[in-house]
Amino acid sequence: MARSVWKGPFVDGYLLKKADAARSSGRKEVIKTWSRRSTILPQFVGLTFGVYNGHKFIPVLVNENMVGHKFGEFSPTRTYYGHAADRKSKRG
Amino acid sequence: MARDGAADRLILVGAVTAPHGVQGAVKVKSFTADPEALAVLPLHDQEGRRVRLKVLSARGDVLIARIAGTSDRNAAERLRGTRLFVPREALDEPDEDEFYHADLIGLRAERADGSLVGTVAAMHDFGAGDLVEVKTEAGKAVLLPFDRDTVPVVDVAGGRLVVDPPHGLIDGEDGAPEEGAPDGEDGEDGTER
Repeated sequence: MARSVWKGPFVDGYLLKKADAARSSGRKEVIKTWSRRSTILPQFVGLTFGVYNGHKFIPVLVNENMVGHKFGEFSPTRTYYGHAADRKSKRG
Repeated sequence: MARDGAADRLILVGAVTAPHGVQGAVKVKSFTADPEALAVLPLHDQEGRRVRLKVLSARGDVLIARIAGTSDRNAAERLRGTRLFVPREALDEPDEDEFYHADLIGLRAERADGSLVGTVAAMHDFGAGDLVEVKTEAGKAVLLPFDRDTVPVVDVAGGRLVVDPPHGLIDGEDGAPEEGAPDGEDGEDGTER
């Protein structure tokens, strides 16, 4: 069942504070968080979060398409390595 | 460390997993981004013999294919476990700022001053952009965003990446909760994290 709209999106308060501090500092830093349940808000766009997956912090550079999703969606708790084969990555 | 032999490396792109039917067809697990690309790549087995493969059908990353010279199930059974390789030079040249994972894995990751950070162990994409997994000398895995800010130099021929990780991503990262990290499940006790 979906969350009631009148409540607004859920975000842990301490994460909002950390994001505000990081944005105002202007430093290139990773905001480490264990709050996988927090919703990604528009004011997080452009910040890099390190989202804990129970083992390590996965860097998540927030872009506009991620708004409304939860942080945990971008930090899987199980990793399958597979084969490199002919797969390519483009440097962003 | 230069990688002069990089061009003649063989890259694993698939494997024969089982025979299929009684007419010599086999199931092939494809590791390529487009599974059916195996049909057009110059494949070799682990002994270096050329393998000619005709794709009959595909479901996900599993292909039903016929391999030249295999006309019955017994012959197909003998191919079980055959790994399929392709020479690195047979792959298309990537676009600008695009890199094959096979080229990146194994590169030295170092800082701008030349100090060693570790070795590239894998590439990932969990939905938030490409990540480089660097295994440090201490054996810890560190993930770095694969972007121009964090990885300003990719020198495949020279066998190295230059990395400039954001503060807090490598230093002191050990996966262990830091001060202020939650010790309960959800921090409803008001713990800051």
